Amino acid sequence: MGLFDALLGRRAVKGPAASERLFALSTAYVTLQTEYSISSAGVAGIVFQPLATADFQAMVKDMVEVVKATASEMGASVESKDDDYGFRWLIVRDPQAAVEDLVVTINGVSSGVEDGGYGERLLCAVFAFKDSQGQPVNFIYNYKRGTWYPFVPADGAQKRSTERELQLKAQLADELPIEPELERWFPLWGIPF
Amino acid sequence: MVLTMFLLGLVYAVLIGALIGAGASGVTIVVVALALFGFQLFASDKIALSTMGARVVSPQEAPELHAIVERLCVQADLPKPRVAIMNTNMPNAFATGRSQKAATVCATTGLLAMLEPAELEGVIGHELTHVINRDVMVMTIASFFAMLAAVIIRFAFFFGMFGGGYGGGRGGRGGGQNEEEAVVLVILVSVLVYAISFVLLRTLSRYREYAADRGSAILTGRPSALASALIKISGTIERIPSQDLRQAEGMSAFFIVPARAKNSMMNIFADHPPLEKRLAALSRLEAQLQGTSH
Repeated sequence: MGLFDALLGRRAVKGPAASERLFALSTAYVTLQTEYSISSAGVAGIVFQPLATADFQAMVKDMVEVVKATASEMGASVESKDDDYGFRWLIVRDPQAAVEDLVVTINGVSSGVEDGGYGERLLCAVFAFKDSQGQPVNFIYNYKRGTWYPFVPADGAQKRSTERELQLKAQLADELPIEPELERWFPLWGIPF
Repeated sequence: MVLTMFLLGLVYAVLIGALIGAGASGVTIVVVALALFGFQLFASDKIALSTMGARVVSPQEAPELHAIVERLCVQADLPKPRVAIMNTNMPNAFATGRSQKAATVCATTGLLAMLEPAELEGVIGHELTHVINRDVMVMTIASFFAMLAAVIIRFAFFFGMFGGGYGGGRGGRGGGQNEEEAVVLVILVSVLVYAISFVLLRTLSRYREYAADRGSAILTGRPSALASALIKISGTIERIPSQDLRQAEGMSAFFIVPARAKNSMMNIFADHPPLEKRLAALSRLEAQLQGTSH
């Protein structure tokens, strides 16, 4: 944002970054699986802010139909859920746990929202994984910045395992565009899957 | 808003001109001004927070408030500010901090208890827009010379009482007359600067509030939720006993609704635009969103 915009208090909400940064997860997953035995939990979700307008709702309806059709071709299912903060989740489940298919489906949702002219409403996408002990590990993609960061919930309310997250950052630094500013590693509590 | 800023700048330039004209050394003015400015910029947020009794809370203590702030920060592409809670029944919220990284967003317990999540999100969006627009910085810079003028008036008053007896003895010397005239001029200019900048600052502050309402509406996509929150908050504030209000007076520039009972005579000097005008602006945004925004 320029100085002039700051002076005048004018600012538009930022739109999403280029989508190839989302696809970086497909290649990074190979490393995750082979070197660190972290495997996909077969589920991913995308969060956006729904607007209570007819145009937006029509866009979402059309987009969900298209995404459901393509997902079922890959053997995946899509469901929609609203959370306590008024954000909408579209959750993709793939029984074969193919990360590539999940990424493609999630990208279908985000490009649908973007093509509808509402790209700035996209918040983030979450991909769920499990490590060799079965502990959940999430990777969150921030649409505004086009960066990834790990999110590992720990035991206890609103606790996260920062140590594990920093390890994952070091392990994947070459494969994924990791968010460099740690204060932007925003947690997502109560992920509905 | 541009006109207001221009007028403020003009008024301040007159003050500096008068000071230099009166023979104050340029270096002295710059040093004193910078020191005062630095103090205001770096210490004011801490002073404000501690005098208000606001406490920074962890995500464990206030999970819902943190979650709302976090989601809006992702949406706004903003680093997360500190989150504080103030223990009072008066529903209100404010933001402080000189930069985006040093910002604190504070909500009162009364606010948290009163609002629905979507409404709270609107209010937090308003405060975060203050952070995004660097309103604390803008208002500190804008009000700095007004403060300087006020300091000069106070000093002049103090020294004027002294100088009265002592100036007579000096009258015989050449130049004494000129000096006294210059001092009187500086005082007059300072009074004028203070009076004019007072009105201009209030106008500027109102513009920033409209901008913050608009920013919040764009950020959350729900202008009507903020409108509903404003109606709820203002309805209660007018019913709150005056003791709480007086205590909160000093912070009112950064509160979402001024912590003062409304008085129509004071409308032009009020820090925030009147509720009806804010609601009208928000309803225009909602209409845009529903109809022609895309």
